[in-house]
Amino acid sequence: MTSKTHKNPGQIALFLFIALFLLSFLIIPVVKVFYVAFIDVNSGSLTLINFKDFFNTSLFIESFNNSFYVATMSVLLATLISLPLAYFTTRFEFKGAIIIQSLGFVPLIMPPFVGAVAMQLLFGSNGSINLLMDEYFGFTIPFMEGLNGVIFVQSLHYFPFILINLSASLNNIDRSMEESAQNLGSSGMRLFRRIVFPLAMPGYVAGASLVFIKVFDDLGTPLLLNVNNMLAPQAYLRISSIGIDDPMGYVIAVILVIFSLFAMWIASLALKGKDYSTVQKGGGGLAKRKMRPFERIVAYFIVILILLTVLSPHFGLTLLSFGTIWSYSVLPDGFTPDHYVEIFAETPEFMMNTLLYASLAATIDIILGTSIAYLVLRTKIRFRYWLDYAAMAALAVPGLVLGIGYLRTFLGASIPFGDAPLATWWVMLVIALSIRRLPYALRACTSALQQVSRSLEEAAENLGANKAKTIQRIVLPLMSGGLLAGFVTSFATAAVELSATIMLVSTESDAPLAYGIYVFMQSAAGRGPGAALGMVAVLIVGLGTYFSHRIIEKGRRERSIENNNQK
Amino acid sequence: MSLQKIQSVGIELKNIDLSYDDTQVIKNVSLKINKGEFFAFLGPSGCGKSTLLRLIAGFEHCQRGEVFLGGEEVSRLPPWKRNVGMVFQNYALWPHMTIWKNVAFGLEERKLPHHEIDQRVNDALELVGLQDYAQRRPNQLSGGQQQRVALARTIVIEPRVLLLDEPLSNLDAKLRVHMRQELLDLQRKLGLTTIFVTHDQEEANTTSDRIAVLQDGIVQQVGSPMELYDKPENLFVAKFLGSANVLNGNITTEDNETIFKDEKGLKISLHNCDIEGSKSIIFRPQNISICDQASNSADLNGLVQKREFLGNLVRYEIQVNQQSILVDEIYGRGKQPAEEGAQVGLSMDTDHVIIM
Amino acid sequence: MKLPFKSLLAVSVIAASMSLQAMENKLVIVTSFPKDLTKEFKSAFEKKNPGLKIEMLKKKTTAGIKYIQETASNNSSDLFWASAPDAFEVLKGDSLLAKYTSPAKGIPKNVGSYPINDPDGYYTGFAAAGYGIMWNTRYLSAKKLPVPAQWADLTDAVYHNHVGMSAPSRSGTTHLTVETLLQGNGWDKGWARWKQIAGNFKTVTARSFGVPDGVNSGSFGVGIVIDFFGLSSKGSGFPVDFVYPTTTALVPANIGVLNNAPHPQAAKAFIDFLLSDQGQSILLNKKIRRLPVNPATYANAPANFPNPFKADSTIGAAVNFDVKLSKSRYNLVNSMFDVMITYRMDDLRAATKAIQDAEAANGNKEMIAEARALVAALPITEAQAADPAFSGIFKKKRKKATDKVTGRQAEVEQQWDTMVKANYAKAIEVANKAH
Repeated sequence: MTSKTHKNPGQIALFLFIALFLLSFLIIPVVKVFYVAFIDVNSGSLTLINFKDFFNTSLFIESFNNSFYVATMSVLLATLISLPLAYFTTRFEFKGAIIIQSLGFVPLIMPPFVGAVAMQLLFGSNGSINLLMDEYFGFTIPFMEGLNGVIFVQSLHYFPFILINLSASLNNIDRSMEESAQNLGSSGMRLFRRIVFPLAMPGYVAGASLVFIKVFDDLGTPLLLNVNNMLAPQAYLRISSIGIDDPMGYVIAVILVIFSLFAMWIASLALKGKDYSTVQKGGGGLAKRKMRPFERIVAYFIVILILLTVLSPHFGLTLLSFGTIWSYSVLPDGFTPDHYVEIFAETPEFMMNTLLYASLAATIDIILGTSIAYLVLRTKIRFRYWLDYAAMAALAVPGLVLGIGYLRTFLGASIPFGDAPLATWWVMLVIALSIRRLPYALRACTSALQQVSRSLEEAAENLGANKAKTIQRIVLPLMSGGLLAGFVTSFATAAVELSATIMLVSTESDAPLAYGIYVFMQSAAGRGPGAALGMVAVLIVGLGTYFSHRIIEKGRRERSIENNNQK
Repeated sequence: MSLQKIQSVGIELKNIDLSYDDTQVIKNVSLKINKGEFFAFLGPSGCGKSTLLRLIAGFEHCQRGEVFLGGEEVSRLPPWKRNVGMVFQNYALWPHMTIWKNVAFGLEERKLPHHEIDQRVNDALELVGLQDYAQRRPNQLSGGQQQRVALARTIVIEPRVLLLDEPLSNLDAKLRVHMRQELLDLQRKLGLTTIFVTHDQEEANTTSDRIAVLQDGIVQQVGSPMELYDKPENLFVAKFLGSANVLNGNITTEDNETIFKDEKGLKISLHNCDIEGSKSIIFRPQNISICDQASNSADLNGLVQKREFLGNLVRYEIQVNQQSILVDEIYGRGKQPAEEGAQVGLSMDTDHVIIM
Repeated sequence: MKLPFKSLLAVSVIAASMSLQAMENKLVIVTSFPKDLTKEFKSAFEKKNPGLKIEMLKKKTTAGIKYIQETASNNSSDLFWASAPDAFEVLKGDSLLAKYTSPAKGIPKNVGSYPINDPDGYYTGFAAAGYGIMWNTRYLSAKKLPVPAQWADLTDAVYHNHVGMSAPSRSGTTHLTVETLLQGNGWDKGWARWKQIAGNFKTVTARSFGVPDGVNSGSFGVGIVIDFFGLSSKGSGFPVDFVYPTTTALVPANIGVLNNAPHPQAAKAFIDFLLSDQGQSILLNKKIRRLPVNPATYANAPANFPNPFKADSTIGAAVNFDVKLSKSRYNLVNSMFDVMITYRMDDLRAATKAIQDAEAANGNKEMIAEARALVAALPITEAQAADPAFSGIFKKKRKKATDKVTGRQAEVEQQWDTMVKANYAKAIEVANKAH
């Protein structure tokens, strides 16, 4: 087989097409923005002096340290949240495991602005919790103050990345791994620390690095909590100041991207050669142990406590969307369905646009993700890994940078068959969303393809199916679970994306939900309707996620039945 | 060295019932396994043999019954407190640890002093001949080597009993024969009470002192390999241990001669038999031989339908009164093998006929 | 799915742009105004001009400017509609606005001391707004705080950690408020006053709407906000109130036609509509609450509605606002505010607290004064700030290649930051010793 490295023209065409796509919609726009960072404002010549200024400015160094601290602490807190959820639901017979896994996903789809407002109303210094505590215990806890507030909100928001990856890893550990350790006298936390966690490490590192990068790059949360001394807000504040073109904003953006790439590189080093998927042929898989009554009470208590905390923003959002006035009080003054009536009467196009954009973007992601995964894993084209690297690098590009880059790159060109600028065409919004979410889908597609044994493909080819037919009839059906997972992640997160959107929306009729929420949240009277719109977004995406989980679970169960029969 | 002084104990299972949801997997099983014995659980897949093994290790919990290890009731003990060594079918070596770390794991869990851990891990690796592989990772070893690591990892903790869950099933045929001999040598050397789970009767026969044959969660019979072979207590045991011809019919006494007749008219006269009535007779292929049709010793006549050459043996399938009978003949003792399609006589060694 | 509709829309847009009518059937407005405001004008104008559709593009003022700058080469928007006159100044400076003077009648030249329209005719004021103090009544009564009326009240120790404001670099109107106080009190005293107020800040928000949002939800009790935020929050039912302090600037909220607007006729008609009686009356809507620029409209206003055109009105009268001076040091003032206050909020708050504690304990008067002086100390003098060579560092858009600028903003800011940080730390030390 190895001698037959013939070049398949179809594969090369696919490679070139994807390379061109990434070049035009990711690399060139980003480079156009970054260029500014290397320009001397006084002379207009290329220079590195701006970077020297960055490292000489104590505010920036402080901001860098703060961002690093917040990202690290958020990973720790997110780990504390995800570990019990992942462990209990994958290693024990746990009623409602699917619901917990789905609910654990919901925080990712917190729409911008409304989430932070809801959190302030619940956890703020004069929020419900603190008002109650002050009344009954005479003290308050500064959940939302300063860097701690950012850490709190970020870990509640991003922990699903760890939960999802860790659960998948835990599911891939063969039960004999644990049993042999028990047999040799290990149990409890020691067993977990020495055997289970190291084996789940690859999944954990993948999730944790994602959380780290997202938190490090995230702009919305620190901005809404009015924490300015972090890198992303510093970049944003400088790029968007009125009438001023401070190159430092762009310098910070470059540093953000470089540091994120660095973090990704470290993570990939840590993961190298550690493919610990230990599930043996013929199933085996996870042993779901029954819990003793006492254990069960403790476990449910912990899980419910965590779920209450992580879902509290949504709880707050619900109150906000039905509340009349909510100000300096434990609960809103009254409840009304008016906000929902208002949004359904006025803004149905936001919902339609969101569904359209997010599903288109997720579809593009799945197609690109599968293609890249296939090229990387199944062909011998040179430079094929660069597609993977480039696509993953999108993770490190802040949405604002991508948005500005699109404006700079595509304004000169016009929409096909029209005269409006290309950059303001709604299709560009879809492409920006798909580039932003491509890394999620790509990872899902890659791991799905990795799980399809080559021999299954070879069997099909041996029976007379050509490459295309094999992919269509064997590979894709077997990947379907992973593809669906990738689609859902891309779809759900694209549906609430704001940062790239806000630069690219050029007409209100083209605007998605996140933009609609933003618009509502800019006025005092818009808070209720904005929250209602946020609830609609959460419901749409949440239901989609739940049903996809059901489908994935069903598929897994069917496959495991087949396996058992084969045994 | 220290490994030779393992304090082994006997095992006793009393009236074990075990179900998953609605399916009862183990039905009222009682067994006694002696100290130092090499004992096999033999049965087809799904018979409950692995479940029983896992029950002893503490990974399964029975609804009724008791498990004793050396007289101590252990049913309520968690796996990590039983000091029972188990080798898993897939070896379950931890991929994130070196061989040395894998073997040291159990000792570290027991918080032994470092020098003792070093000593015992080295001894155990030496015992299985892998001292040079200590710093490798499991995925750098062959199947047989992984198997030895799994074994070393288990015996290094000096378990009270050793449980082997189909330990040879992932090895190729030649290695399997080799490894089972190694296993046996080791077991004899350490005097370790060992339970060996297998679906392969040859493996069970060659290694075990005694075998428990399981089917449908019930112990069908317990005994030494030869006892089971010669005196199966039921059809299942008879058929599962080696090939057997089974004929159903009636035994009657006519003119001082005991005769077996099946419904299709096949007739065999039996000696030393005082049983009558509706019975099955069972005889092994080697207890019947081909002879000349006309010969006096010809108890039956038949047509050679199929001939299989097995090397040392030739196996015939012979049609007698619409019944197929298997016959094994030793190959190459001057006797010319019968051709397919030939009419032959069959002479029976009626002493070895089992009546049920 | 939705695709057919979208492509239909695209086709109709193309069709629309090809038909040359006197009155276009589309109008694209880039605006920073909230939906509550825009939707009223949109529906009224569309009703008046059947067949015309308005596209409202909501952007934060800063993002709106960026958007217009970035899309200028292929402009698809007609109007820029926002509060801050300085935002229009930026666009005007980049030659992105087109001249238009509406024939509307009955609109005076100034509101307070600020000219309503751009003297050069590039943008038009349609409503007036002024900064003031907004507070949450539940918050104040729960914490037993007095209701503030003047800027000076906010320097009182009782308001420590209860006040919020947005950064002037984020919001043009906030900048004018900062500048108003600087002009009213003088450079040194003005900054000292700001630092005293800011020492009581709980937060400096990144969005200007963050301030009314914080007061509305009770995150902090008192906010320095533009009037319509306070008035519309109150109008929406929140337990809040608003007052104009004596020293405040009234500034017009503006609208301007963009260069190369695709629909110039509709754009001009919209401006005329804003200034008509009907348009001006919409401003009184309880969710909008902005001050009309046509004095006649106040006849329909609810009781107690502030009227800057009334003969006895004090709103915006106290300061004679120097627009030129403000413009010359615009970015410099923003940068100073950010370096001394926004980014050193924790240090400033701690220093202020230490001084307030020393005062409460009746500490050594001289040392307290010394600590105050340390906090108030400025890195540059007013003369330096007025030096175009220096303030030019903060204007990145150089007009000519020959405009010589030495030094970089980041470099200068770092020098300031070092000084400010050291001063605040020293002030804490001194104040702690004072009692």
